Amino acid sequence: MPCVLFHKEGQAFAGEVAANTNLVVRAGIRQFPYPHLTYGCGMGKCGKCASRVLSGAEHLPAPNWKENERLGDRIKAGYRLVCQLWISHDIELAQDAPSAVPTAR
Amino acid sequence: MAELMDPRSFRTALEAAIKGKSANTSPFSIAWAQGKLSRAHLARWAENHFHYVGPFASYLGYVYGRLPEEFTEAKDFLLSNMYEEEIGGDRHTDLLIRFAEACGTTAERVKNPDNMSPTTRGLQSWCYSIAMREDPIVAIAGLVVGLESQVPSIYRRQLPTLREKYRFTEPEVEFFDIHIVSDEIHGERGYQIVLAHANTAELQQRCLKICEIGAEMRLLYTTALYRDYVEADLPMQALDLAA
Repeated sequence: MPCVLFHKEGQAFAGEVAANTNLVVRAGIRQFPYPHLTYGCGMGKCGKCASRVLSGAEHLPAPNWKENERLGDRIKAGYRLVCQLWISHDIELAQDAPSAVPTAR
Repeated sequence: MAELMDPRSFRTALEAAIKGKSANTSPFSIAWAQGKLSRAHLARWAENHFHYVGPFASYLGYVYGRLPEEFTEAKDFLLSNMYEEEIGGDRHTDLLIRFAEACGTTAERVKNPDNMSPTTRGLQSWCYSIAMREDPIVAIAGLVVGLESQVPSIYRRQLPTLREKYRFTEPEVEFFDIHIVSDEIHGERGYQIVLAHANTAELQQRCLKICEIGAEMRLLYTTALYRDYVEADLPMQALDLAA
């Protein structure tokens, strides 16, 4: 089972999830990383779930068209839209405080 | 006489009530998954589907208004579900129209209720009926557990085919993509609410029955799509029903 380490506002939260898990779905049904993960539409539009991948990025598929559209240059800094990721390997993510999230493009 | 089930047994019973009546077993869904439908067939699907899912927030709005005030979490779930359908990101029906246009029909045709089949009108009417008349927890069981929770498994089968066999672009199939996430959440939250609030044996039995009927209604709807729009071009013998 993949281990997820999630950093937010100076704290770290760890949990195990089933293979092929979407963390926004998990948060939506009130399971880890709820209530720490901030998310919005769940459809790759609002960008509220954007997080930096600190480790495990090599196991993820390339950013999809929504991530490219929403995140632009932030992809080079390691940002991904968590709602677009189905996780099957260990991963470490960091989400900026809401005030630090750039306004949606 | 039925006894009150513990949450685990009740959940298993709800899942069993839906299983076996899954819309995945309809000839329309099988033809879709096998890549045998034409874009014209898919256009007819979109013209019908709009009138089933388009009012989903309205169905839930009736349930919301009838839920007792103290059911705060269940009410918040319905409100959030309605918000996500309509204004949380792109309006879900706008994405359905985008797909419909890629299939060769028009927004005007999709929105015109004269283009839905009598069976689709029956499904829409059943959704309104249970939203307005059933116990609100039973209505959530029917609409969310019985219908909405099926969506991710249906679209997981259909989406790869739309990309790979029908050659739609990613933006054209976004309607399907987003529901794999949104309805996974909605379906599971629906289960949680029904498990928490169906607290008598009688209420549990009514939830089970409505889930079974909901799954049957969706199966009836997709089967009618095949009969009304596909069968003449693609008879049952042309489908690999073991797929």
